[in-house]
Amino acid sequence: MPPTSSLLRDSSIDRDRLFPGDRLAAYALLVILALVTVVPLLYMIVLALQSDAEVLSGDPVLWPADPQWGNFTRLFDAAPFGRFFLNSFVMAGAITIAHLVFDPLIGYVFAKMEFPGKRIAFVAVLSTLMVPFFVRMLPIYAIFSNLGWIDSYQGLIVPFLMDAYGIFLMRQFIRPLPNELIEAARVDGASEFGIYLRVILPQLKPALAVLSLFTFVFQWNEFLWPLIATSRTEMRTLPIGLTLFNQEYFTQWNLTAAGALILFLPTALFFVITQKFLVEGITLSGLK
Amino acid sequence: MNRRRQAATAWLFLSPAVIFFVLLFFLPIGNQLLTGLYDADGVNFVGLDNFTRALGDPEVVHSFLITLGYAAGTLVVGTAVGLGLAVILNQAIPGRTLFRSVLLIPYLTSVSIIGLLWRNILDPQVGILNRLLDQFGLPGQTWLSTHPLATIVGITVWSSAGYTMVLFLAGLQGIPGLYYEAARIDGAGPWRRFFSITLPLLTPTTLFVSIIGLISTLQQFALPYIVTGGGPGNATSLYAHRLFLVAFNDNDFGYASALSVLLLLVVLVLSLVQLKIGDRADAAH
Repeated sequence: MPPTSSLLRDSSIDRDRLFPGDRLAAYALLVILALVTVVPLLYMIVLALQSDAEVLSGDPVLWPADPQWGNFTRLFDAAPFGRFFLNSFVMAGAITIAHLVFDPLIGYVFAKMEFPGKRIAFVAVLSTLMVPFFVRMLPIYAIFSNLGWIDSYQGLIVPFLMDAYGIFLMRQFIRPLPNELIEAARVDGASEFGIYLRVILPQLKPALAVLSLFTFVFQWNEFLWPLIATSRTEMRTLPIGLTLFNQEYFTQWNLTAAGALILFLPTALFFVITQKFLVEGITLSGLK
Repeated sequence: MNRRRQAATAWLFLSPAVIFFVLLFFLPIGNQLLTGLYDADGVNFVGLDNFTRALGDPEVVHSFLITLGYAAGTLVVGTAVGLGLAVILNQAIPGRTLFRSVLLIPYLTSVSIIGLLWRNILDPQVGILNRLLDQFGLPGQTWLSTHPLATIVGITVWSSAGYTMVLFLAGLQGIPGLYYEAARIDGAGPWRRFFSITLPLLTPTTLFVSIIGLISTLQQFALPYIVTGGGPGNATSLYAHRLFLVAFNDNDFGYASALSVLLLLVVLVLSLVQLKIGDRADAAH
């Protein structure tokens, strides 16, 4: 088509406006897909509030006749959910703190310091991204068994004290900070660690917030290692405790759903806090 | 400050990382390479026996083949859904930020919740899905017994579509709007613009999404473990599940180590391909 004829039709530049139907169809599709995403999760609430009779009946329940809020407390009597919650909290919390201590420090070294062996060290750290967890899991399990660390908090925590993602993410945030800041502090006689602590770290507050929230949520949800590293009921974490509880009390889907909602709680909180940064945060950690 | 002191300081700051990565990554990896050469008790050196055994083990071969099927299904459907969502949400649609976030919820949700939730929804007796189908006069399905692998693919796509969408959104935002303006002036419709501009320029993103998707599906363990326990039979016993069974049910750590080394090799090759693509994409910009 010759360009002139399309230019004559002025509206062709904003062609989308000519087809409100297309946009409407896209919007309808989007709403359907969002519902497909959210409705199963909302159904979890319906399920958690059903009475035992409703769960076992053959009829679809869209809203329980008499919402059983007591299910949330019954759950704690049926299984040691309080302990599971505490274990998950200790594990995810300790790992998050460790990441906040180590990741920015290591990231700072790779971002701003020059020293022999830097490139090899950096490549070595990044290369760990390619290692499936299964590859290091078996030897770590064997070593921890010998140390008596199975069914212990240190056993749950130590394999995840830091990781290449967090270090790389921090390096990316630190690199653009002006070198003059560091030089000025050095001239003022600040120690190297003092520079890191007082000049660099305060600049990283938003990055550290993103790092801690992501670390906490992903460790809170971690499944494979806690499954293997614990065998005593009182050392199980919430994701493991919930699936075991479900196998033991198969028909009590209402209690299982109530437990799932408790497990979902930190994710929901995380979601509310980070909604604005969520997409950017994932793009940064996922693409780089 | 002299260079030697700076180097000493740098290595001092790095020391926790050196200890951590050596003890919890590099020594374990080295250990796996060695353990794979020993028998179940870790006493007798058996050379490459564990590796040749894997190639002739019908259960391992089966698990590898269904993992490939699972990966292919997840990649094709997951990429299409993620790309579709990204294209729609890259437009100036009201509420797009909310939609983007909402679609990401399953990605952040524990696999325990996802697994148990879908096991309940799909249950032939108590599941809501068959009851809803029944309301519309449609026949119920025994999802997890008749189409176990396809159902696991479906749940995986459901839980990862939002993440794939975010990666594609990042790719889409790298395409200059100028191209679309020019195409509009030349009279190209939305579909033509998609196939002539969007899709070709997204090639590096699509490759990236496919390879990281492939790497994560090859390691998939928890979802089938929770939803089907690997069954019925061993229809959903993926490679990682087989590895888990060999290690913790059969207690054959030598064989399990060999299986994990094979997994490492595949993931390593895929990661290197991904790096190459990344370099080429960087060079193109």
